[in-house]
Amino acid sequence: MSMNRIVAIMLLLFFIEGSLMPWIIPEGYGSRIIPHFIFVFVLFSALYGNRHMALLLGAGFGLLQDVVYFGQLLGLNFFAMGIIGYFTGVLLERKRATVMMAITVIGFACILYDTALFFIYQVFRITSASYAWALLNHILPSLFLQLAFALVCYVPVRRMFESRKETGENGEEE
Amino acid sequence: MIGLFNFMRNKRVFMLMIGFILFIAIIGFSLSDRKELTWPEKFLKDTSGFVQQWFYKPAGYIAGFFEDIRDFRMIYEENERLKSTVAAYARDKVEYNFIKKDNERYKELLGFSEQQKQMYDYNYLIAQVISISNDANNRTMTINLGSKHGIEKNMAVTTVDGLVGLVSSVTPFTAAITPITELNETSPTFNSISATIEGRENESFGILSSFNKETNRILMTRIGENDKMEIGDTVITSGLGGVYPRGLRIGTVETKQVGDFGLTYTASVKLATNFDHLAEVFVVQAASSEENAP
Repeated sequence: MSMNRIVAIMLLLFFIEGSLMPWIIPEGYGSRIIPHFIFVFVLFSALYGNRHMALLLGAGFGLLQDVVYFGQLLGLNFFAMGIIGYFTGVLLERKRATVMMAITVIGFACILYDTALFFIYQVFRITSASYAWALLNHILPSLFLQLAFALVCYVPVRRMFESRKETGENGEEE
Repeated sequence: MIGLFNFMRNKRVFMLMIGFILFIAIIGFSLSDRKELTWPEKFLKDTSGFVQQWFYKPAGYIAGFFEDIRDFRMIYEENERLKSTVAAYARDKVEYNFIKKDNERYKELLGFSEQQKQMYDYNYLIAQVISISNDANNRTMTINLGSKHGIEKNMAVTTVDGLVGLVSSVTPFTAAITPITELNETSPTFNSISATIEGRENESFGILSSFNKETNRILMTRIGENDKMEIGDTVITSGLGGVYPRGLRIGTVETKQVGDFGLTYTASVKLATNFDHLAEVFVVQAASSEENAP
Protein backbone atom coordinates (compact mmCIF):
# COMPACT_ATOMS: atom_id res chain seq x y z
CA MET A 1 0.00 0.00 0.00
CA SER A 2 1.61 3.22 -1.08
CA MET A 3 1.91 6.28 1.12
CA ASN A 4 -0.35 8.18 -1.27
CA ARG A 5 -3.20 5.75 -0.64
CA ILE A 6 -2.74 6.06 3.12
CA VAL A 7 -2.78 9.86 2.97
CA ALA A 8 -5.86 9.79 0.71
CA ILE A 9 -7.72 7.52 3.14
CA MET A 10 -6.76 9.75 6.06
CA LEU A 11 -7.94 12.85 4.22
CA LEU A 12 -11.28 11.14 3.62
CA LEU A 13 -11.45 10.30 7.34
CA PHE A 14 -10.64 13.92 8.17
CA PHE A 15 -13.62 15.15 6.18
CA ILE A 16 -15.86 12.43 7.58
CA GLU A 17 -15.07 13.26 11.19
CA GLY A 18 -15.66 16.97 10.66
CA SER A 19 -18.69 16.92 8.40
CA LEU A 20 -20.43 13.56 8.62
CA MET A 21 -20.00 12.55 12.25
CA PRO A 22 -21.91 15.56 13.68
CA TRP A 23 -24.99 14.16 11.93
CA ILE A 24 -24.46 10.56 13.00
CA ILE A 25 -23.93 11.32 16.68
CA PRO A 26 -27.39 11.48 18.31
CA GLU A 27 -28.80 14.85 19.26
CA GLY A 28 -27.79 15.97 22.73
CA TYR A 29 -24.45 14.18 22.61
CA GLY A 30 -22.81 16.49 20.09
CA SER A 31 -20.37 17.96 22.58
CA ARG A 32 -19.88 14.73 24.51
CA ILE A 33 -18.96 12.13 21.91
CA ILE A 34 -16.15 13.51 19.81
CA PRO A 35 -14.49 11.52 17.02
CA HIS A 36 -10.69 11.35 16.78
CA PHE A 37 -10.43 8.92 13.87
CA ILE A 38 -7.30 10.54 12.46
CA PHE A 39 -5.55 10.04 15.77
CA VAL A 40 -6.55 6.35 15.89
CA PHE A 41 -5.15 5.99 12.40
CA VAL A 42 -1.87 7.59 13.46
CA LEU A 43 -1.66 5.11 16.33
CA PHE A 44 -2.21 2.22 13.91
CA SER A 45 0.60 3.54 11.76
CA ALA A 46 2.83 3.60 14.87
CA LEU A 47 1.87 0.04 15.84
CA TYR A 48 2.10 -1.60 12.43
CA GLY A 49 4.24 0.83 10.44
CA ASN A 50 7.13 2.62 12.02
CA ARG A 51 7.61 5.51 14.42
CA HIS A 52 8.81 8.02 11.83
CA MET A 53 5.73 7.49 9.71
CA ALA A 54 3.56 8.01 12.80
CA LEU A 55 5.41 11.23 13.62
CA LEU A 56 4.99 12.55 10.08
CA LEU A 57 1.32 11.60 9.73
CA GLY A 58 0.48 12.85 13.24
CA ALA A 59 2.22 16.19 12.82
CA GLY A 60 0.91 16.71 9.29
CA PHE A 61 -2.73 15.92 9.98
CA GLY A 62 -2.55 17.61 13.37
CA LEU A 63 -1.44 20.81 11.68
CA LEU A 64 -4.18 20.45 9.07
CA GLN A 65 -6.75 20.11 11.82
CA ASP A 66 -5.32 23.07 13.72
CA VAL A 67 -5.48 25.33 10.70
CA VAL A 68 -8.89 24.26 9.42
CA TYR A 69 -10.59 24.50 12.82
CA PHE A 70 -8.58 27.45 14.10
CA GLY A 71 -10.31 28.90 17.14
CA GLN A 72 -7.80 30.27 19.61
CA LEU A 73 -4.60 28.25 19.44
CA LEU A 74 -2.56 26.82 16.59
CA GLY A 75 -0.18 23.90 16.91
CA LEU A 76 -1.91 21.88 19.63
CA ASN A 77 -2.86 18.85 17.59
CA PHE A 78 0.33 19.21 15.56
CA PHE A 79 2.35 18.66 18.70
CA ALA A 80 0.13 16.23 20.61
CA MET A 81 -0.63 13.88 17.73
CA GLY A 82 2.94 13.83 16.47
CA ILE A 83 4.56 13.18 19.80
CA ILE A 84 2.07 10.61 21.09
CA GLY A 85 2.27 8.76 17.78
CA TYR A 86 6.05 8.81 17.85
CA PHE A 87 6.40 7.49 21.40
CA THR A 88 3.81 4.78 20.80
CA GLY A 89 6.04 3.74 17.92
CA VAL A 90 9.17 3.84 20.10
CA LEU A 91 7.50 1.60 22.67
CA LEU A 92 5.78 -0.92 20.46
CA GLU A 93 6.94 -0.97 16.86
CA ARG A 94 9.29 -3.94 17.44
CA LYS A 95 6.55 -6.14 18.87
CA ARG A 96 3.76 -7.54 16.75
CA ALA A 97 0.82 -6.28 18.76
CA THR A 98 -2.27 -8.47 19.06
CA VAL A 99 -5.84 -7.15 18.87
CA MET A 100 -6.22 -6.79 22.63
CA MET A 101 -2.83 -5.14 22.90
CA ALA A 102 -3.60 -2.68 20.11
CA ILE A 103 -7.02 -1.77 21.52
CA THR A 104 -5.58 -1.24 25.01
CA VAL A 105 -2.78 0.96 23.70
CA ILE A 106 -5.19 2.98 21.57
CA GLY A 107 -7.51 3.45 24.55
CA PHE A 108 -4.75 4.74 26.81
CA ALA A 109 -3.30 6.93 24.07
CA CYS A 110 -6.72 8.52 23.44
CA ILE A 111 -7.11 9.35 27.12
CA LEU A 112 -3.59 10.79 27.15
CA TYR A 113 -4.28 12.86 24.04
CA ASP A 114 -7.53 14.33 25.35
CA THR A 115 -5.91 15.00 28.72
CA ALA A 116 -2.97 16.77 27.11
CA LEU A 117 -5.31 18.95 25.03
CA PHE A 118 -7.41 19.78 28.06
CA PHE A 119 -4.45 20.85 30.18
CA ILE A 120 -2.91 22.97 27.44
CA TYR A 121 -6.22 24.77 27.02
CA GLN A 122 -6.40 25.21 30.78
CA VAL A 123 -2.89 26.68 30.93
CA PHE A 124 -3.91 29.32 28.41
CA ARG A 125 -7.16 29.95 30.31
CA ILE A 126 -9.40 29.10 27.39
CA THR A 127 -11.33 26.57 29.42
CA SER A 128 -12.08 26.91 33.10
CA ALA A 129 -13.75 23.57 33.71
CA SER A 130 -12.28 21.00 36.09
CA TYR A 131 -10.52 17.88 34.84
CA ALA A 132 -12.87 15.50 36.65
CA TRP A 133 -15.78 17.03 34.80
CA ALA A 134 -14.00 16.90 31.44
CA LEU A 135 -13.15 13.24 32.02
CA LEU A 136 -16.77 12.29 32.59
CA ASN A 137 -18.23 14.73 30.09
CA HIS A 138 -16.31 13.97 26.93
CA ILE A 139 -13.06 12.05 27.41
CA LEU A 140 -14.58 8.74 28.51
CA PRO A 141 -17.70 8.80 26.27
CA SER A 142 -15.67 9.56 23.18
CA LEU A 143 -13.17 6.87 24.15
CA PHE A 144 -15.84 4.27 23.38
CA LEU A 145 -16.38 5.71 19.92
CA GLN A 146 -12.64 5.60 19.23
CA LEU A 147 -12.37 1.99 20.45
CA ALA A 148 -15.32 0.93 18.34
CA PHE A 149 -13.78 2.59 15.30
CA ALA A 150 -10.42 0.93 16.02
CA LEU A 151 -12.08 -2.50 16.28
CA VAL A 152 -14.08 -2.07 13.09
CA CYS A 153 -11.15 -1.02 10.94
CA TYR A 154 -8.51 -3.13 12.70
CA VAL A 155 -8.13 -5.91 10.13
CA PRO A 156 -7.98 -3.84 6.90
CA VAL A 157 -5.76 -1.16 8.42
CA ARG A 158 -3.32 -3.65 9.90
CA ARG A 159 -3.09 -5.45 6.56
CA MET A 160 -2.57 -2.11 4.83
CA PHE A 161 0.33 -1.04 7.02
CA GLU A 162 1.96 -4.46 7.22
CA SER A 163 1.88 -4.98 3.45
CA ARG A 164 3.54 -1.61 3.14
CA LYS A 165 6.20 -2.62 5.64
CA GLU A 166 6.94 -5.87 3.84
CA THR A 167 7.17 -4.27 0.41
CA GLY A 168 9.31 -1.55 1.96
CA GLU A 169 11.72 -4.09 3.43
CA ASN A 170 11.86 -6.06 0.20
CA GLY A 171 12.58 -2.87 -1.63
CA GLU A 172 15.49 -2.14 0.68
CA GLU A 173 16.93 -5.62 0.20
CA GLU A 174 16.80 -5.31 -3.52
CA MET B 1 33.72 19.01 22.67
CA ILE B 2 33.00 15.58 24.12
CA GLY B 3 29.96 17.00 25.87
CA LEU B 4 28.66 18.36 22.59
CA PHE B 5 29.28 14.99 20.95
CA ASN B 6 27.31 13.20 23.65
CA PHE B 7 24.53 15.71 23.28
CA MET B 8 24.32 15.25 19.54
CA ARG B 9 24.29 11.48 19.94
CA ASN B 10 21.20 11.79 22.02
CA LYS B 11 19.33 12.90 18.93
CA ARG B 12 15.90 12.10 20.26
CA VAL B 13 16.11 14.53 23.16
CA PHE B 14 17.56 17.15 20.86
CA MET B 15 14.71 16.82 18.36
CA LEU B 16 12.18 16.84 21.18
CA MET B 17 13.55 20.14 22.45
CA ILE B 18 13.42 21.67 18.96
CA GLY B 19 9.87 20.40 18.52
CA PHE B 20 8.86 21.89 21.84
CA ILE B 21 10.35 25.28 20.98
CA LEU B 22 8.54 25.19 17.63
CA PHE B 23 5.29 24.34 19.44
CA ILE B 24 5.63 27.27 21.85
CA ALA B 25 6.50 29.58 18.96
CA ILE B 26 3.40 28.55 16.97
CA ILE B 27 1.16 28.98 20.01
CA GLY B 28 2.66 32.40 20.69
CA PHE B 29 2.07 33.37 17.08
CA SER B 30 -1.57 32.27 17.18
CA LEU B 31 -2.25 33.98 20.51
CA SER B 32 -1.02 37.35 19.26
CA ASP B 33 -3.77 39.71 18.23
CA ARG B 34 -4.10 38.93 14.55
CA LYS B 35 -6.39 40.96 12.34
CA GLU B 36 -6.33 38.48 9.48
CA LEU B 37 -5.25 34.96 8.75
CA THR B 38 -2.10 34.30 6.77
CA TRP B 39 -2.52 33.17 3.17
CA PRO B 40 -1.54 29.49 3.66
CA GLU B 41 -4.23 29.25 6.32
CA LYS B 42 -6.79 30.87 4.03
CA PHE B 43 -5.89 28.54 1.20
CA LEU B 44 -6.11 25.41 3.36
CA LYS B 45 -9.41 26.48 4.90
CA ASP B 46 -11.00 27.33 1.56
CA THR B 47 -9.88 24.08 -0.01
CA SER B 48 -11.10 21.93 2.84
CA GLY B 49 -14.29 23.95 3.09
CA PHE B 50 -14.95 23.25 -0.57
CA VAL B 51 -14.69 19.50 0.03
CA GLN B 52 -16.49 19.51 3.36
CA GLN B 53 -19.70 20.95 1.95
CA TRP B 54 -20.10 17.84 -0.23
CA PHE B 55 -20.29 15.80 2.94
CA TYR B 56 -22.22 17.97 5.36
CA LYS B 57 -25.15 18.99 3.17
CA PRO B 58 -26.23 15.54 1.88
CA ALA B 59 -25.84 14.10 5.37
CA GLY B 60 -28.07 16.88 6.66
CA TYR B 61 -30.70 16.19 4.01
CA ILE B 62 -30.79 12.49 4.82
CA ALA B 63 -31.00 13.11 8.56
CA GLY B 64 -33.63 15.77 7.95
CA PHE B 65 -35.69 13.35 5.88
CA PHE B 66 -35.90 10.85 8.75
CA GLU B 67 -36.75 13.60 11.20
CA ASP B 68 -39.54 14.75 8.87
CA ILE B 69 -41.07 11.28 8.86
CA ARG B 70 -41.02 11.29 12.64
CA ASP B 71 -42.69 14.70 12.67
CA PHE B 72 -45.60 13.71 10.41
CA ARG B 73 -47.85 12.95 13.32
CA MET B 74 -47.41 16.35 14.87
CA ILE B 75 -48.18 18.28 11.68
CA TYR B 76 -51.90 18.66 12.39
CA GLU B 77 -51.37 20.19 15.82
CA GLU B 78 -48.60 22.37 14.51
CA ASN B 79 -50.86 23.62 11.75
CA GLU B 80 -53.54 24.65 14.24
CA ARG B 81 -50.97 26.49 16.31
CA LEU B 82 -49.53 28.24 13.27
CA LYS B 83 -52.99 29.36 12.13
CA SER B 84 -53.61 31.18 15.40
CA THR B 85 -50.11 32.67 15.23
CA VAL B 86 -50.77 33.96 11.72
CA ALA B 87 -54.02 35.58 12.86
CA ALA B 88 -52.17 37.32 15.68
CA TYR B 89 -49.44 38.33 13.26
CA ALA B 90 -51.91 39.92 10.84
CA ARG B 91 -53.39 41.96 13.70
CA ASP B 92 -49.97 43.07 14.87
CA LYS B 93 -48.80 43.88 11.35
CA VAL B 94 -51.38 46.68 11.03
CA GLU B 95 -50.32 48.14 14.34
CA TYR B 96 -46.65 47.76 13.41
CA ASN B 97 -47.13 49.69 10.17
CA PHE B 98 -48.74 52.58 11.99
CA ILE B 99 -46.03 52.70 14.63
CA LYS B 100 -43.30 52.42 12.02
CA LYS B 101 -44.71 55.33 10.07
CA ASP B 102 -45.03 57.42 13.22
CA ASN B 103 -41.49 56.54 14.20
CA GLU B 104 -40.12 57.62 10.85
CA ARG B 105 -41.99 60.92 11.10
CA TYR B 106 -40.57 61.54 14.60
CA LYS B 107 -37.05 60.78 13.42
CA GLU B 108 -37.52 63.29 10.63
CA LEU B 109 -38.81 65.91 13.09
CA LEU B 110 -35.97 65.33 15.53
CA GLY B 111 -33.39 65.63 12.77
CA PHE B 112 -31.81 62.18 12.94
CA SER B 113 -28.72 61.80 10.82
CA GLU B 114 -28.63 59.20 8.06
CA GLN B 115 -26.31 57.02 10.12
CA GLN B 116 -28.56 57.07 13.16
CA LYS B 117 -31.56 56.12 11.03
CA GLN B 118 -29.84 53.08 9.58
CA MET B 119 -28.34 51.94 12.85
CA TYR B 120 -30.81 49.13 13.36
CA ASP B 121 -31.32 48.05 9.75
CA TYR B 122 -30.00 44.53 9.79
CA ASN B 123 -29.45 42.29 6.84
CA TYR B 124 -29.62 38.52 7.39
CA LEU B 125 -27.40 36.35 5.21
CA ILE B 126 -28.31 32.66 5.09
CA ALA B 127 -25.29 30.38 5.45
CA GLN B 128 -24.82 26.61 5.58
CA VAL B 129 -22.72 25.01 8.28
CA ILE B 130 -20.17 22.77 6.57
CA SER B 131 -18.16 21.31 9.43
CA ILE B 132 -17.77 21.27 13.20
CA SER B 133 -14.44 20.98 14.97
CA ASN B 134 -13.68 17.69 16.68
CA ASP B 135 -12.06 19.28 19.69
CA ALA B 136 -14.05 19.35 22.91
CA ASN B 137 -12.51 22.60 24.08
CA ASN B 138 -12.82 24.41 20.79
CA ARG B 139 -16.14 23.83 19.06
CA THR B 140 -15.46 26.10 16.10
CA MET B 141 -17.94 25.76 13.24
CA THR B 142 -17.31 26.59 9.60
CA ILE B 143 -19.90 28.14 7.29
CA ASN B 144 -19.85 28.38 3.51
CA LEU B 145 -19.90 32.17 3.21
CA GLY B 146 -16.75 34.27 3.37
CA SER B 147 -15.37 37.71 2.80
CA LYS B 148 -16.35 37.50 -0.88
CA HIS B 149 -19.99 37.40 0.27
CA GLY B 150 -19.61 40.29 2.70
CA ILE B 151 -18.91 38.44 5.93
CA GLU B 152 -16.60 40.24 8.33
CA LYS B 153 -14.98 39.39 11.60
CA ASN B 154 -17.13 39.87 14.74
CA MET B 155 -20.50 39.58 13.00
CA ALA B 156 -23.14 37.84 15.08
CA VAL B 157 -24.56 34.52 13.94
CA THR B 158 -28.03 33.27 14.91
CA THR B 159 -30.50 30.55 14.08
CA VAL B 160 -34.27 30.72 14.19
CA ASP B 161 -34.06 29.75 17.88
CA GLY B 162 -31.41 32.16 19.08
CA LEU B 163 -27.86 33.42 19.12
CA VAL B 164 -25.19 30.94 18.02
CA GLY B 165 -21.97 32.92 18.25
CA LEU B 166 -19.59 35.28 16.59
CA VAL B 167 -17.59 35.10 13.38
CA SER B 168 -14.01 34.68 14.58
CA SER B 169 -12.05 34.52 11.34
CA VAL B 170 -12.83 34.93 7.67
CA THR B 171 -11.32 33.51 4.50
CA PRO B 172 -12.53 34.38 0.98
CA PHE B 173 -15.06 31.51 0.83
CA THR B 174 -15.55 30.29 4.40
CA ALA B 175 -15.86 31.77 7.85
CA ALA B 176 -15.25 30.26 11.29
CA ILE B 177 -17.82 30.76 14.04
CA THR B 178 -16.90 30.68 17.70
CA PRO B 179 -20.02 29.41 19.47
CA ILE B 180 -21.40 31.28 22.45
CA THR B 181 -20.47 28.28 24.62
CA GLU B 182 -16.85 29.46 24.45
CA LEU B 183 -17.80 32.72 26.18
CA ASN B 184 -15.37 33.22 29.02
CA GLU B 185 -14.39 36.24 31.06
CA THR B 186 -10.72 35.31 31.19
CA SER B 187 -10.43 34.40 27.51
CA PRO B 188 -8.49 36.99 25.52
CA THR B 189 -10.62 36.69 22.39
CA PHE B 190 -14.28 36.74 23.31
CA ASN B 191 -16.22 39.82 24.38
CA SER B 192 -18.99 39.90 26.95
CA ILE B 193 -22.52 40.44 25.68
CA SER B 194 -24.82 43.12 27.04
CA ALA B 195 -28.32 41.76 27.40
CA THR B 196 -31.80 42.81 28.35
CA ILE B 197 -35.24 41.27 28.78
CA GLU B 198 -37.77 40.97 25.98
CA GLY B 199 -40.70 43.31 26.63
CA ARG B 200 -38.79 45.50 29.12
CA GLU B 201 -35.88 46.58 26.98
CA ASN B 202 -35.42 49.91 28.72
CA GLU B 203 -35.75 48.67 32.29
CA SER B 204 -33.66 45.53 32.55
CA PHE B 205 -29.95 45.18 31.93
CA GLY B 206 -27.28 42.58 32.52
CA ILE B 207 -23.98 41.40 31.14
CA LEU B 208 -23.50 37.83 29.92
CA SER B 209 -19.98 37.20 31.09
CA SER B 210 -19.19 33.50 30.92
CA PHE B 211 -20.57 30.13 29.95
CA ASN B 212 -20.36 27.45 32.60
CA LYS B 213 -19.71 24.22 30.74
CA GLU B 214 -20.41 22.08 33.78
CA THR B 215 -23.97 23.30 34.20
CA ASN B 216 -24.59 24.32 30.56
CA ARG B 217 -25.79 27.75 31.61
CA ILE B 218 -24.63 31.28 30.85
CA LEU B 219 -23.90 33.51 33.82
CA MET B 220 -25.50 36.95 33.65
CA THR B 221 -23.94 39.48 36.00
CA ARG B 222 -24.37 43.13 37.02
CA ILE B 223 -28.15 43.10 37.21
CA GLY B 224 -29.43 46.15 39.05
CA GLU B 225 -30.81 45.82 42.56
CA ASN B 226 -34.34 46.91 41.67
CA ASP B 227 -34.43 45.18 38.33
CA LYS B 228 -37.75 43.38 37.82
CA MET B 229 -36.20 40.42 36.07
CA GLU B 230 -38.14 37.22 36.73
CA ILE B 231 -37.48 33.55 36.24
CA GLY B 232 -38.70 32.45 32.82
CA ASP B 233 -38.12 35.81 31.13
CA THR B 234 -36.59 35.79 27.66
CA VAL B 235 -33.10 37.28 27.43
CA ILE B 236 -32.19 39.16 24.26
CA THR B 237 -29.15 41.18 23.21
CA SER B 238 -29.49 44.88 23.94
CA GLY B 239 -27.24 46.18 21.17
CA LEU B 240 -25.26 48.34 23.61
CA GLY B 241 -21.55 47.92 23.15
CA GLY B 242 -21.65 47.80 19.41
CA VAL B 243 -20.50 44.26 18.67
CA TYR B 244 -23.79 42.40 18.86
CA PRO B 245 -26.89 43.69 17.05
CA ARG B 246 -29.90 44.27 19.25
CA GLY B 247 -32.88 41.99 19.60
CA LEU B 248 -31.27 38.58 19.09
CA ARG B 249 -32.79 35.98 21.39
CA ILE B 250 -30.33 34.25 23.72
CA GLY B 251 -32.30 32.17 26.21
CA THR B 252 -34.45 32.19 29.32
CA VAL B 253 -33.65 33.18 32.89
CA GLU B 254 -33.49 30.13 35.15
CA THR B 255 -32.30 31.33 38.54
CA LYS B 256 -31.55 34.71 40.07
CA GLN B 257 -29.47 35.29 43.16
CA VAL B 258 -27.50 37.99 44.96
CA GLY B 259 -24.07 38.52 43.44
CA ASP B 260 -20.60 38.31 44.97
CA PHE B 261 -20.57 41.69 46.71
CA GLY B 262 -24.26 41.85 47.54
CA LEU B 263 -24.82 44.99 45.50
CA THR B 264 -25.91 43.44 42.23
CA TYR B 265 -27.71 40.29 41.20
CA THR B 266 -26.56 37.44 39.01
CA ALA B 267 -28.74 35.10 36.99
CA SER B 268 -28.15 31.91 35.10
CA VAL B 269 -29.53 31.79 31.57
CA LYS B 270 -30.49 28.66 29.67
CA LEU B 271 -29.54 28.89 25.99
CA ALA B 272 -32.32 28.79 23.40
CA THR B 273 -30.10 27.34 20.67
CA ASN B 274 -29.37 23.67 20.25
CA PHE B 275 -25.86 23.28 18.88
CA ASP B 276 -26.29 19.72 17.58
CA HIS B 277 -27.34 19.08 13.98
CA LEU B 278 -27.09 22.72 12.98
CA ALA B 279 -27.78 23.15 9.28
CA GLU B 280 -28.68 26.73 8.41
CA VAL B 281 -27.57 29.80 10.31
CA PHE B 282 -28.06 33.52 9.71
CA VAL B 283 -25.19 35.96 9.74
CA VAL B 284 -26.37 39.39 10.87
CA GLN B 285 -24.96 42.17 8.76
CA ALA B 286 -25.39 45.62 10.24
CA ALA B 287 -26.22 48.36 7.74
CA SER B 288 -23.35 50.57 8.85
CA SER B 289 -20.75 47.87 8.26
CA GLU B 290 -22.20 47.23 4.83
CA GLU B 291 -21.54 50.82 3.87
CA ASN B 292 -17.97 50.65 5.04
CA ALA B 293 -17.30 47.60 2.91
CA PRO B 294 -15.74 48.44 -0.44
